[in-house]
Amino acid sequence: MIEGVSRYFGSVAAVNKVALTIEDGEFFTLLGPSGCGKTTLLRMIAGFTELDAGRIHIGEKRIDTIPPHRRNIGMVFQNYAIFPNQTVAGNVAYGLKARKVAGPEMARRVGEALALVRLEAYGDRWPHQLSGGQLQRVAIARALVIRPEVLLLDEPLSNLDARLRVDMRGEIRDLQQRLNITTVYVTHDQEEALAVSHRIAVMQAGRIEQLDHPEHIYRKPKNLFVAQFMGTTNVLRGIVGEHQGDLVRVRVGASELSVADPSAREGEPVSLCLRPEALSIVHPGNAGSAGLARLEAMVTKTEFIGPLARLEAELADGSMVRVAVLDDPGTSVVPGSRILLAYDPARITVFRQGSP
Amino acid sequence: MIALRVAPLARLQLALGVLAFLFLGLFLLYPLWGVLSASILTPDGAAFTANNYIKVLSRSFYRASVTNTLAIGLLATLTTTMIAVPLAFAIARLDVPGKLLMTGLAALPLVLPSFVGAYALVLLLGRSGVVTQALNSWGIPFGSIYGTPGIVAVYTLTLYPYVLLPTLAGLKAVDISVEEAAQNLGSSPARTFRTVTLPIIIPSVLSGALLVFIETIENFGVPAVLAEDKPILAVEVYKLFIGETATNPSAAAVLGVLLIVLTATVLIIQRRYLARHRFATGARTLSPLVKIGAGCRTLVTGYCWAVVLLALVPFFAIVVLSFMEFRGPVLHARFSLGNYAELFAVAGGPLSNTLMFATLAAGGAALIGVPIGWVLVRTRTGWASLLDIVSTMPFAVAGTVLAIGLVIAFNSGWLVLTGGWLIMLLAYTVRKLPFTVRSSSAILHQIDPSLEEASISLGVSPLRTLIVLIVPLMLGGIVAGMVLTWVTVASELSSTVVLYSGPWRTLTIIMFQALEGTGAGVAVAAASVLIAITLIPMLAAYRLLRRHELSML
Repeated sequence: MIEGVSRYFGSVAAVNKVALTIEDGEFFTLLGPSGCGKTTLLRMIAGFTELDAGRIHIGEKRIDTIPPHRRNIGMVFQNYAIFPNQTVAGNVAYGLKARKVAGPEMARRVGEALALVRLEAYGDRWPHQLSGGQLQRVAIARALVIRPEVLLLDEPLSNLDARLRVDMRGEIRDLQQRLNITTVYVTHDQEEALAVSHRIAVMQAGRIEQLDHPEHIYRKPKNLFVAQFMGTTNVLRGIVGEHQGDLVRVRVGASELSVADPSAREGEPVSLCLRPEALSIVHPGNAGSAGLARLEAMVTKTEFIGPLARLEAELADGSMVRVAVLDDPGTSVVPGSRILLAYDPARITVFRQGSP
Repeated sequence: MIALRVAPLARLQLALGVLAFLFLGLFLLYPLWGVLSASILTPDGAAFTANNYIKVLSRSFYRASVTNTLAIGLLATLTTTMIAVPLAFAIARLDVPGKLLMTGLAALPLVLPSFVGAYALVLLLGRSGVVTQALNSWGIPFGSIYGTPGIVAVYTLTLYPYVLLPTLAGLKAVDISVEEAAQNLGSSPARTFRTVTLPIIIPSVLSGALLVFIETIENFGVPAVLAEDKPILAVEVYKLFIGETATNPSAAAVLGVLLIVLTATVLIIQRRYLARHRFATGARTLSPLVKIGAGCRTLVTGYCWAVVLLALVPFFAIVVLSFMEFRGPVLHARFSLGNYAELFAVAGGPLSNTLMFATLAAGGAALIGVPIGWVLVRTRTGWASLLDIVSTMPFAVAGTVLAIGLVIAFNSGWLVLTGGWLIMLLAYTVRKLPFTVRSSSAILHQIDPSLEEASISLGVSPLRTLIVLIVPLMLGGIVAGMVLTWVTVASELSSTVVLYSGPWRTLTIIMFQALEGTGAGVAVAAASVLIAITLIPMLAAYRLLRRHELSML
């Protein structure tokens, strides 16, 4: 669907030879830090940013040469872009009027679209009488009522408060499933991306770093950037030691860890990535850690946040690891105490050093 | 294929930009080039020469016109600032009764023609003025108001809102928490004002003061009434070009170029300064009023009302005088509508001319200014900043000079406009263009560009989006700019005096001609009508203008 698309701002490539195909009915997310090119790519699909190279197709039809007002693509803007001088119904009807839809048909479709976002009773209201979440729904109804071939959402939840954001993303996801509409979603929030998407493209500096299903992106990041962008992770630098069956020993300072990477060569410098929740504390009552590899550490800092306790601990050489454990009234860990950490070698991702 | 690569939105901006450049190029830059080339070319246009400049500047009379203009400008800027800043502070921070009415009245001199104010001063305090004669009959000697004192007085009383309004806005925008922070850190209220409040409002004060300076340099009407034999640049340009004795276009062009260089320099300084020194202030709560003693309060109240009312006295006096009987220049204290009867008997209908020009110019300025405003706000390319500069230029071009340029450019050749109404309308539209450009770009800054993109993505073309969605959203700013255009065109004199012809005399021309001695009664009636027609739209659009006036200064 998108072939080798590029866009340069001056000599900087905002989008650098990106190529990807989005399936029919897919919920596809462009994820990355600000300035990574995700919004530029979305605006290229919408037609608001020119392509310097490449082409974009929807199905068989090439769209990058069509002016934006003839593309039939629905777009939801970050700040909703609700027309303040028109009622809720007027906003939703706006695109239908441009398509010269007849009066009764228009009223019916506006009603349907408002019902879809549960705003049936709000047609006569003015935008300034609505809350942020309601404006968001009007924006979605307005984009859907024109029966677009693709729905684009540009960071649609960034102006909402935290609780509403979680509710809204569920709603958007349900709506997309129900209508089975191909959707491209832009966000910088990895949790949001993981929660709603069929597939995610993680972008950096105008390129796609990894394109995969949410679980794979989180558990098997392709490189250090993706690993660190997709939530907290521990990065430990070490030297590959000897092989022991399926496992390889890796020296990290004075400690040794086992990893499941048969291709690692002895003496090779590597970075190890290990999620905090992949570590657990070994104590007599914790049977779940049986059969896992062990690692000694000393607790330096604890933070209790309710369902979880977050720890920072030092390995023998002083390098720091973060640990996240479920709240357990039976154990109390205080700074200064020595603990034994258990981990599954299969959950450690190994990156060759030098590779990004 | 290249054309396809340009987005329709950008293509629309480009098309509107090209039209704007064509208009401004033809009716602003080309005439100005005419003035410049008349000053630097030999009469046959064949070669460059510095002779014109040498000839003009070797005469002490014309050198004096430059120094007089600058001296009066500086003096008036100083007095204006000294009067307006305390007034602004009193209104913003002290407990003065009748504030709301006071701020309303204080904005009026912005639209009341300063030329009328000068004329009123002559009628009251001039050689045969009402007050002068009364004083003389009681044996009290009264000095002359002609020359510098009168001109500076009129400028001060008519231009002080240029400093007052920005300073007031600046004071109101100071976030109270920064003052509280200063006091919390141990600073006394006086020190807080000096070290925190004052530095924040100084950019507002200075930008207003520089505008006053530009206004005084450009102004034609006030010195035309009050300067008498004192040479003033804007008046000498006119005399050299139109002069009753020998006209001298190349000398007029030299002085015109000097005039533009002066105003342009000050305008550039003002814009540069504003761009660099504007503090982002966001006041959430208004500062509490400073408590003062009863005696102090009476004094401050007296001062404030004295300034505000004194500025309006000349206009009030004109209206009163217009209902009295004039025999030639001599006034009789008897009620009469004769002046008005005489005014409406004047051939050509100066009132209907004035109304027609003001209306057409307001419409024209909106038609050209709104697209320019949109392009300026939405385009981020080099040619847009050039358009910004060109569309701000009319601020720096004195009306007399632009009019002379238009005469030079369209007196002969492929397009002859002199002697008609169109050339007057073009002069007005070009000169007042910055009002609509600035008011529409100011309001566009508050309209999110994603509204346009939303409309386009819903299937509406860029041009239609601009017309059906964005223009209605901009309406407040557009109307404010149009009202200001209307009002200032109605009282325009400096271009009119160069460009008018017999059937197209306006109210201001009637007044200007009365200065020669006859027809004082008609002039006073014309001035009163002018006051009425500038006040009515002001009052009708009062709220709207209050909201948008600052963006246009």
